[in-house]
Amino acid sequence: MADVVHIVLPAWQFAAILAGPLILLAAAAAGLRFLVRRRSVSGEDRDWSVPPLADSAGATLFHRWDVRCKITALLAYSFLVAALEHVTPTLAALAVSLLALVLARSSLVRALTRLLAVTGFLVMFLVVMPLSAPALPGDTVLVIDGVDWLGFNLRGLYKALAIACKGVAIALLMEPLLTTAPLPVTLHGLTRLGIPDMVGQMVLLSHRYLHVFRHEAERMAAGMRVRGFRKRTDIETLRAVANFLGMLFVRSFERTERVFDAMRARGYRGRFPAPEEPRMQAKDLLLTGAWLALGITLILWDRFFQQGSG
Amino acid sequence: MHNPTPPVLRPDPKQTLFSIRGLTYRYADGTPALSGIDLDIAPGDRIALVGHNGSGKTTLVRQLCGLLSPSAGSVSYKGKPLAGAHLDAARLEIGLLFQDPDDQLFGHTLMDDAAFGPRNQGLARVSAEEAARVALEQVGLAGMAYKPPHNLSFGQKKRAALAGLLAMGPETLILDEPTTNLDPRQEEIFLNLLRDFPGTLVCISHDLIFLYELCDRAVVIDRGRIHHDYTLKALVSHRASLREHGLDFSFRLAPETADESGKTPVRVPAATPPGKTAPAPALVSLRDFRFRYPDGTPALAGVDLDIVSGERVALVGENGAGKTTLLSCLLGLRRGEGTFHFAGEPVTKQRHRTLWQRVGMVFQDCADQLFCPSVGEEIAFGLRRLGCTTDETRQRVRETLVRVRLSGFEDRVPLHLSGGERKRLALACVLAMSPDLLILDEPTAGLDPEGEELLLQIIGDLDTTLLLVSHDMFFVGELTRRTLVMHQGVIGCDVPTREFMRDEALGSLNGLAFTYRRDCSGAIRELQHEHEHSHPHRHRHEHPHRHGGMVHTHAHEHVHEHPHRFVHRHDDGDKAHDHAPLRYPEHPHPGHDSEPHDHEHP
Repeated sequence: MADVVHIVLPAWQFAAILAGPLILLAAAAAGLRFLVRRRSVSGEDRDWSVPPLADSAGATLFHRWDVRCKITALLAYSFLVAALEHVTPTLAALAVSLLALVLARSSLVRALTRLLAVTGFLVMFLVVMPLSAPALPGDTVLVIDGVDWLGFNLRGLYKALAIACKGVAIALLMEPLLTTAPLPVTLHGLTRLGIPDMVGQMVLLSHRYLHVFRHEAERMAAGMRVRGFRKRTDIETLRAVANFLGMLFVRSFERTERVFDAMRARGYRGRFPAPEEPRMQAKDLLLTGAWLALGITLILWDRFFQQGSG
Repeated sequence: MHNPTPPVLRPDPKQTLFSIRGLTYRYADGTPALSGIDLDIAPGDRIALVGHNGSGKTTLVRQLCGLLSPSAGSVSYKGKPLAGAHLDAARLEIGLLFQDPDDQLFGHTLMDDAAFGPRNQGLARVSAEEAARVALEQVGLAGMAYKPPHNLSFGQKKRAALAGLLAMGPETLILDEPTTNLDPRQEEIFLNLLRDFPGTLVCISHDLIFLYELCDRAVVIDRGRIHHDYTLKALVSHRASLREHGLDFSFRLAPETADESGKTPVRVPAATPPGKTAPAPALVSLRDFRFRYPDGTPALAGVDLDIVSGERVALVGENGAGKTTLLSCLLGLRRGEGTFHFAGEPVTKQRHRTLWQRVGMVFQDCADQLFCPSVGEEIAFGLRRLGCTTDETRQRVRETLVRVRLSGFEDRVPLHLSGGERKRLALACVLAMSPDLLILDEPTAGLDPEGEELLLQIIGDLDTTLLLVSHDMFFVGELTRRTLVMHQGVIGCDVPTREFMRDEALGSLNGLAFTYRRDCSGAIRELQHEHEHSHPHRHRHEHPHRHGGMVHTHAHEHVHEHPHRFVHRHDDGDKAHDHAPLRYPEHPHPGHDSEPHDHEHP
């Protein structure tokens, strides 16, 4: 069995190797942010008098795909991607997700925004795992000259890279899954797949009222700031934040009751009106089968045709 | 004293749509909300439901659509009690518009929301969407049918909420404060829609000028009971009743007279005569000031503004003109680009953080700035951050509560105060910090006329620099000398307030026309017109009097001529007119008792 290979480097070289990828990642994140900003500034307000998916951009394979088949196929595929262990198949999964984005004509801005949300979490893996992975026989570990206890395990880096690629691939895939049908239709599809109706209704209402509660919290926070409130590590801050959260809870609770009353006043009796009933066709099932086959192929490739740091 | 025998309007019992008998309602904690309510509403009635904040109006309308069940008594709709399957069916015929449109817009898009009711009525998806489209067209939002509600302005949300009801083709519309926080243009859209509504209308509002245009019957609620069931004309012409129920909005009818006579509104401190002193340095100075939201939406597009210390300035403009963003920048909540000087000093990043010490603002919804468990702590919150000692804080809290007429409220819970009291508490929180610049954002929103009048007095007595943001042209006229008109992120016009009020074109251009309000005010002023007249009139009274040698006393009637104050219309202006020898109730006639006089004895 091969021993652990230790490569001793001067501190500056080690720092450069460590900082290089981090700087690249930070630059990529900043670039993403810049792109998101620029795209959202330049875009004109769309025509809201037509359904969001009724324009030509909506006529893609993903938009036409029966929502139940789409959910089943993409979620099952995501689980298969999550089970990958090697870097090369995960890179292939990432490529598939990018292709799906292109095929679905998804908004680049939204996809990048989604990616930004997971970037921090994935960067943490890239930093922590190489430094914390135990050295096993056959591993290559970079060590700083004179600091033997701190090793940078390349197997840990590969692991982290695989996790990052899987995370990005799945996050990007959520874009074609969630934005190629209106949310109520997607939730109705979930209900038809056996998710309790109440869960779908709660998600739909949460999606609507999260914005309202966020605006309310922002206004209340502004009300505190204009009277001099600044967060500090003292008991006064703790008391003020507790009052703020308490009041926010009371207001949210009261609003919940009013919303329910408003729903009842317009004839709500426990069920939201169902959107248009989806019709499953042979091509939907065919596409589902193809997508699942792709996932299984990736798994087989990962398990039987990959070696090394996996 | 208000009129003890008001004209009571009762529909024919056979034609009653709603019939409420002996209705009593108590909240879960036992607090009585309504008691002994008897009310009949006929099809086609247009009822204004008025009364103090907290008098029970909203609770009553919730009973009308079965959202609350009576603790005692009954509510019937079309002859049957509102319960079970009849209640389910009734809800599809009764539309209730909530005060806050966010409570009502739970759909993913406006189309989803407006189609929600028709779908529950059993319409197929396509028919329901057609009904929703027509309703959205009616409220002028067809172009936003697939927009999520959280991306709309407040006025648009309010109209969208109404579309959700109109799509159901309701027989009855119940509206809870429909025009609160709306700019005059949106208010007029609402008015036109409701004016054309053919069904039964029940409208809760403190805005009697709006109600006057819309309703013909007034039901006055006071502490959970119906005090009057008048015609609306009878109510608005009877100031004593209005005053008793906190509804006397007559102070709003005064300015036209002041304006006509060229006087300055009394609540504005006298200006320094021009040329006598050197021009004061600007307290606030903005040059080419711009602000863009993170998503790129431009909110301020080159604002130039100077506010001199002691000035009283109004900032007006349609919803979405950029007023709130400008205020956020002045408060230091947002940082814009361009030149910003405060009290002669450039507002650097460091100074930006301390602007709160010199600029105070009362928010449109005062609930946004009240979060402490007691009134005393609420006011002390800002003072503690200013570094005031305990004694000084206590002293300032006490003084401020006196200023806002809330003495003795120190230990009360802000959440349990009435709307007017909360607004004054929010003002107290800011005043206690002695700001150099006081900003008021829609101070009258949701207040009853009594609360408005009190607030007007309090603000009128202040001597601080004031920036008033309001759609309420009466408050603007009463409290400010200078008006800034904002439109699409710039200050398009900076004129003396009196000039702005006279320039109809200026108002119309910016959605601030208030023509119908002025017309209504004129009509109500006519109804309330009261003046002194001397003319012969009949008078029935009882006093000792002499007939030849006989002195006796009994009620008797005869004609007098002496001055009286009474409600009296002059439809022909100043032309000569006759007064019929009407009979008036008893009134004193000093010296009359000892006069010998004669009258017929039956």
